[in-house]
Amino acid sequence: MDFEITEDMKDAISKARAFANKYFNEELAAKSDSMEKFPMELVELSRKENLLDYSNPWKVLVTIEELCRRDPGLGISVTIPAFGSEVLMLFGSDKLKEKYLNQVVAGKAIMGLGVTEPGGGSDVANIKTEARREGDHYVLNGGKMFISNGQIADFFIVLARTSPPPSPDKKHRGMSVFVVESKSKGFTANKLHGKLGVRATNTAELIFDNVEVPAENLVGEEGKGFYYIMTFFNISRIYVAAQGLGIAQGALDRLMDFASKSNNINDAGELKEGIQFAIAEVATRIEAARNLTYKAASFLFNFNPNPVVTSMAKYYAAETAVYAAKTAMEITGVTGLSTELERFYRDSKILEIWEGTSEVEKLIISRMMMKNQGGN
Amino acid sequence: MEEEYEILENTVKDFNAKYIENNALKIENEGITESLLKSLSEQGFLSMAYQVGAGKNLDMKAYSIILENLAKVSPSVAVKVLITNAFLSVVNEEEVLSEVSQGSKSGTVVFSELLGGYNSKERLKIENGRLEGKKEFVLGSNSDYIVTIVDSGELVLVKSGFKSVASHKKLGFRGLEFSTVSFDTKDFSMIGKEGIDILRKTYDEMSIPISAVALGISEGSLAKAIEYGKVRMAFNHYLKDFQPIAFNLTTNMAELSILKQYFRDITSSNPAGRESLYLKIRAIEIAKEVSKNSLQTHGGYGYLEDFGVEKFYRDSMALSILFYNEEKEMEKLAEMIFESRAGFV
Ligand SMILES: Cc1cc2nc3c(=O)[nH]c(=O)nc-3n(C[C@H](O)[C@H](O)[C@H](O)COP(=O)(O)OP(=O)(O)OC[C@H]3O[C@@H](n4cnc5c(N)ncnc54)[C@H](O)[C@@H]3O)c2cc1C
Repeated sequence: MDFEITEDMKDAISKARAFANKYFNEELAAKSDSMEKFPMELVELSRKENLLDYSNPWKVLVTIEELCRRDPGLGISVTIPAFGSEVLMLFGSDKLKEKYLNQVVAGKAIMGLGVTEPGGGSDVANIKTEARREGDHYVLNGGKMFISNGQIADFFIVLARTSPPPSPDKKHRGMSVFVVESKSKGFTANKLHGKLGVRATNTAELIFDNVEVPAENLVGEEGKGFYYIMTFFNISRIYVAAQGLGIAQGALDRLMDFASKSNNINDAGELKEGIQFAIAEVATRIEAARNLTYKAASFLFNFNPNPVVTSMAKYYAAETAVYAAKTAMEITGVTGLSTELERFYRDSKILEIWEGTSEVEKLIISRMMMKNQGGN
Repeated sequence: MEEEYEILENTVKDFNAKYIENNALKIENEGITESLLKSLSEQGFLSMAYQVGAGKNLDMKAYSIILENLAKVSPSVAVKVLITNAFLSVVNEEEVLSEVSQGSKSGTVVFSELLGGYNSKERLKIENGRLEGKKEFVLGSNSDYIVTIVDSGELVLVKSGFKSVASHKKLGFRGLEFSTVSFDTKDFSMIGKEGIDILRKTYDEMSIPISAVALGISEGSLAKAIEYGKVRMAFNHYLKDFQPIAFNLTTNMAELSILKQYFRDITSSNPAGRESLYLKIRAIEIAKEVSKNSLQTHGGYGYLEDFGVEKFYRDSMALSILFYNEEKEMEKLAEMIFESRAGFV
């Protein structure tokens, strides 16, 4: 067992740090946050500088971590344009990969993933969007809610029902995944305003009103959509955990910076123990979350995914981010309130919600463990 | 609860229904309007501390009921009432008092020096009868009058010749302006020489009112989560059917109810500083916890302002920073408990 990170990862971290040093600034971060504006210019720059090396997932992971450490809103925005790409990578036909995936990887297109609906996000098997086969195409009707990149994506991976469930307890059957272009007739994206955090990211409600999708845009096989999406979440959750590590680490950096400059010194000239303990507690959780995340990543990147450890990592890293941001806010007080830390506090909360709420992760962990699947 | 307080509670609830409930989001985004201020004053909400000057004691219970119930719907409005009354309790100029309590003018007190993490480089000085400099973290910075401490230690009432120069980030209480204020004026008067003592006394007396706001935040957010749990479904069940959700919210309710009982008890008596601090410490912690649970119960919708839940999450943290200095207040309480200086290493 070796806990040393590789040279490749170190290079990716340095590159991400240099990128953030050069292009992330408080003015842009604050503007993107207050105006709820996606920082497209940063995405362009990240493409130009080949910031994300999709051929090496470890590098992607630590890049996300490092960028979110600097600024969660900007960091997530830079790394979100390929959201959902693994579905195409794993299950898409060569034709779909060539037409859509390659565009995203080459930095020429943005994509999104539409699973959640107004009626529910946790209960994926209960979605209502329908796709009806008519000759050489499908017709989609329904709506999706809270879709990241909703207004800026060129196309979406969309989960829809193609046949009724065979029985009430087999609702996850009969669902399929499609690539839906945003320029399709009958497609509308309405921006959602007023998010608590990650306001630099673009979130929208999608409406499909008799949207025609060519049959060749069906991803993989009809009826296997639920399985594809769950497989995707087992990958993407590791990247969400990386967001959590970055946010938590960023909060800790700011807490330690405050501690080194504050006048919280006791009579013996040492930092007061209240702050020392807070630093130790946050740092310990981050270390634990990082080890969990890297372990889950190691399983996955060696083609042996372990959903239990993945869900543990996502749930624990998200909680750690929220805890770290809260602790840092409480201790830094008005200083923290008037800096970017305030954004870390708002941004971190999303991690306990998207791509499986903490509650859903806990259910996955215990259900799979009870079935002796995964974990240790 | 005695009848008169029940009537008061219903009055605040009616006020909420008439003026705030449908405007809560607008208040957050556009601020508290002059007409709302006027309505608050017509109800007497802005002059709870003013009556004290007329020889009466502040009716802490009545005041707390007002703050608690306003905060259930709009913590911003409750905090506006809180800082206005704090202003009235330190100012002693009749004309100013009368204008502010009638809502035709507004006033605020700057408590920055007492807050955790405060480390400002800005200076505010009196030289040759002129007040010059800046003050950071002024909540209600667009007020007509500002009470603030100056570098030489006096507490002054500034009547004109100041302006907001830089807005601070607004984690919470977005209905109020929150900025650095720049002063350059001769139009001010002295409230007292030992400014920090007056400020500290005022702040200490606010423990119960601040707790009332915290309780209101908890009650407002918990009520929303409970309602949502009854109507939202996942996996063919109402959210309330799931043990983790039901038990979490039930635990919150239990803790909150116990705290409310304590709150009612101590507001009916003449609480010692220790009791007020016990209440404040728990009320603020619980507000943060309950508002987080409520947001989480709402899933993605909790993250959007339209559902009126995320504001409680922000406001509870803002309350904990702008009206609670955990370290100092813990030290104070620890000293009372250990009967000698404690908790300082
Ligand atoms: C900013 C943002 C961006 C997003 N981006 C995307 C995106 O790009 N694509 C996409 O498809 N979705 C996206 N989502 C949606 C997100 O994944 C969902 O919000 C999330 O899955 C929860 O679904 P919900 O909001 O419908 O909550 P619900 O499913 O209604 O859940 C409400 C609450 O009940 C809890 N709960 C549900 N079932 C149980 C149970 N059995 N036991 C205990 N508790 C339970 C949940 O944990 C939650 O706390 C985004 C959301 C946000 C806010």
